[in-house]
Amino acid sequence: MAIQKQYYRRKKVCKFCVERIDAINYKDVKLLSQFVPERAKIMPRRLSGVCTPHQRILSDAIKKARSIALLPFATD
Amino acid sequence: MANYEIMFIVNPNATDEEIDKINSQIEGVVTAGGGKANKIEKLGKKRLAYLVDKFRDGHYVLFTIEAGGAVVHEIERRLRVMDPVIKYLTVRMDEDMKRLDKIHAHRQKRAARRGRARAAGGGGSAPGPAEQLAEE
Repeated sequence: MAIQKQYYRRKKVCKFCVERIDAINYKDVKLLSQFVPERAKIMPRRLSGVCTPHQRILSDAIKKARSIALLPFATD
Repeated sequence: MANYEIMFIVNPNATDEEIDKINSQIEGVVTAGGGKANKIEKLGKKRLAYLVDKFRDGHYVLFTIEAGGAVVHEIERRLRVMDPVIKYLTVRMDEDMKRLDKIHAHRQKRAARRGRARAAGGGGSAPGPAEQLAEE
């Protein structure tokens, strides 16, 4: 190992696994909006740390919420 | 028969009576089709995330019904035709609920097993993680 990492990166954990949130409902805007940053895009797994199964359910819920105008498709 | 949630948005200028009229109409469709309207919730006036038909806000209404696919089809057709309704969404819930039940059953089983192991080992009366898990 020639170069050592200079800072310690904390391992990200899936919020839904840790807090045992099973139901990701499209009506729960408060929960979903944590995963849509300013630009209203869905936050990628590599940034949020959400595990694959939960990310799949989450993105479905966000898309449903968008189609009933609870979340924006994009912000200008 | 399946469980559906139908959410729709009514024009913000609509009065309470108009919304009630729409609700009773849809309830009529459900019961006529042999289904059951389990819950009708008026979620109140909310701000929309984007402009819909040039409206900034709207009255949200949520129906939780138990019916066949034909009933849902008919409701959607009616919602499309109704002028005050600006948007609707139907979501099927039973498959999701089945998945949740499975997770809950699994968790309870594990909690019970862990609780037994604790009782056999320590025999403490303090609420262990098993009870805490069951509450969640």
